[in-house]
Amino acid sequence: MTKADDRTGKTEDELFARKAKVMFEQSVDSLDGQTRSRLNQSRQAALAELDSSTVSLVSPGRWTHWAPAAGVAAVAVAAVLLWSGNLTFDTGIGPIDPIESAVPGDFELLMTEESFDMLQDLDFYSWVEIDAEIDVDPGEDADVG
Amino acid sequence: MTADAATFDVSCTSTTQTGAGTLQREQTLDRFLAEVEKRALRIAVISVRDRDEALDLVQNAMIKLVQKYSDRGVDEWTPLFYRILQNGVRDWHRRQAVRNRIMVWTGRAGKDDETKDLVEAAPDPAGRTPDEQLQNIEAMESLEVSLTELPRRQREAFMLRTFEGLDVKGTAIAMGCSEGSVKTHYFRAVRALREALGEHWQ
Repeated sequence: MTKADDRTGKTEDELFARKAKVMFEQSVDSLDGQTRSRLNQSRQAALAELDSSTVSLVSPGRWTHWAPAAGVAAVAVAAVLLWSGNLTFDTGIGPIDPIESAVPGDFELLMTEESFDMLQDLDFYSWVEIDAEIDVDPGEDADVG
Repeated sequence: MTADAATFDVSCTSTTQTGAGTLQREQTLDRFLAEVEKRALRIAVISVRDRDEALDLVQNAMIKLVQKYSDRGVDEWTPLFYRILQNGVRDWHRRQAVRNRIMVWTGRAGKDDETKDLVEAAPDPAGRTPDEQLQNIEAMESLEVSLTELPRRQREAFMLRTFEGLDVKGTAIAMGCSEGSVKTHYFRAVRALREALGEHWQ
């Protein structure tokens, strides 16, 4: 094949393609109303996907944006309240702390060394008590006597 | 303006810009799809020889483009859209091949293979006379028949280059092959079609 034949062939190919394109465009223009309507519905269905994907992407994004900050803030507030002692749990029946509800005076007395000395001299303290009663009574006896 | 007010203002402006951007993107997609849908349907009809199946394929291609590639540049949409459509056509042919094999086994082959009327009736929106319409319909039908007899890759290259007007690079993206392969497939397709349709068509 010569260069001239090749050029002619290419030109004929281009002419053929151009005619094919014209025929094709005419067949596209000939599409009936029902087909056009269905294409329009298909396009709207596709665009609805864009709306739904936007909603599903944007809304959770806002939540995920604020949720960590809100969580950190809540933990910080709780920590401060616990540390300062202001956080109480109101059960409706008052504080239930077995250590706090016990009488601290009794406990402290039992734990001191003096309390053990007192237990060892119980006889002495009984005598002191009886003697003190005798000291008080003489006046009464005198009145009677 | 206080710092809080400034923050609120920036936040609202950002939201408005995002909403406007989404709306603009939707409008651009709408225009693109409206521009491409009719040619895409005709190409799909030629590929599968069934209008309803072709409509489903085009709709699926639209939806996938919107779902997966709407954030891409507008100039990328056409080759991507046709790549999705061509993949859909390929899958459809595979399913049909399996279906036909099953039909042969069960003895039901050919019972529902009625040829459908591909070009539906008048009045002609282009305003041509019935004779002109008939000539064009016959010419296009003979081209379609010849196209269906081409190897698949040649048919794809011809339709994308000639009917859709994609350049070699865009056709290569749509077909998922090299630009050299596109040139080869296209050249062979044109020569085969010219030979098949004869001198009277040209």
